[in-house]
Amino acid sequence: MPSTQNPPIAGTAIDPTSLRPKLDDAVVERISPSELRARLEAFKGDGYAMLLDLGAVDYLGREPRFDVVYHLLNLATHARLRVLCGINDGEHLRSVMDLWKSADWAEREVFDLFGIVFDGHADLRRIQMPNDWEGHPLRKDYPMRGNNAERSPRPAFANKSNVVAGTPPAGRTLEALQEQVRRARE
Amino acid sequence: MLARVDEVARWAQSSSVWPLTMGLACCAIEMMTVTSAEYDIARLGSEVFRSSPRQADLMIVSGRVAQKMGPVVKRLYDQMADPKWVISMGACASSGGIFDNYAVIQGVDTIVPVDVYVPGCPPTPDGLLYAVNLIQQQIRQGGRGGIFA
Repeated sequence: MPSTQNPPIAGTAIDPTSLRPKLDDAVVERISPSELRARLEAFKGDGYAMLLDLGAVDYLGREPRFDVVYHLLNLATHARLRVLCGINDGEHLRSVMDLWKSADWAEREVFDLFGIVFDGHADLRRIQMPNDWEGHPLRKDYPMRGNNAERSPRPAFANKSNVVAGTPPAGRTLEALQEQVRRARE
Repeated sequence: MLARVDEVARWAQSSSVWPLTMGLACCAIEMMTVTSAEYDIARLGSEVFRSSPRQADLMIVSGRVAQKMGPVVKRLYDQMADPKWVISMGACASSGGIFDNYAVIQGVDTIVPVDVYVPGCPPTPDGLLYAVNLIQQQIRQGGRGGIFA
């Protein structure tokens, strides 16, 4: 049975959403980026007054690569609606901050961790990672230990202080401790 | 005479090591437990967790330090008045622990000097008490940071 979650698949990548059992508590709809804004406005008019969450998923190797997911709740009928919108790297989406205030931080988070830009957002800054961070960590091609190849990178801010860090206090160097143990054994 | 004053001063200092109120992660739960009646860190004179780094002598790094939290921890350490001590509590604070990833600093000793490392995930309250004990010993023996050091 063709599912609404089933996006066009490119190459050999498997779409995990097509393997998932259908959830009966929510209606799932896949909408193309071009008509997303108009449809969301219509949903809001239909009584979906609450945006529960806004997230994204990276299906690396799939076409389109990302799914942006809108979780909507109708406060009158308690109906839930999940809107999926597939976009590729570099494509922008319209912000829905003016429809639902709760989209503010959620869109910032998606931008921070996936690098998806929302046009019309009032203040699209990073929200979880430091402001000077490079890259978007929740992308599947982001290295686990970060862009820095070093095992224990010394953070840049550690050098900016008046305190010399990393120097063991007097008498607690390895040599001093070994000497202590040797004396205790004698 | 001087030797006696020296001894008394060190005893006083070692019996009033005030920790900073700073809980970073789950180790902080064990850190709070040492103030309970069961473990009673007040016996060592360290029950006064200060909310201001200006009044604190001891920083207990109780949990993993995220890259974003690092500058905050560093600033708090810089704001503490000398003499000051640092306990790295648990695996995450000491080495990053299970969080071997981009978001967590791999050992707090890359940003502040650490006096005592407490192993464990999390360490028992007794482990933390022993670490405070070691710092007290260090002060009484005139180690780093003592008044007459």
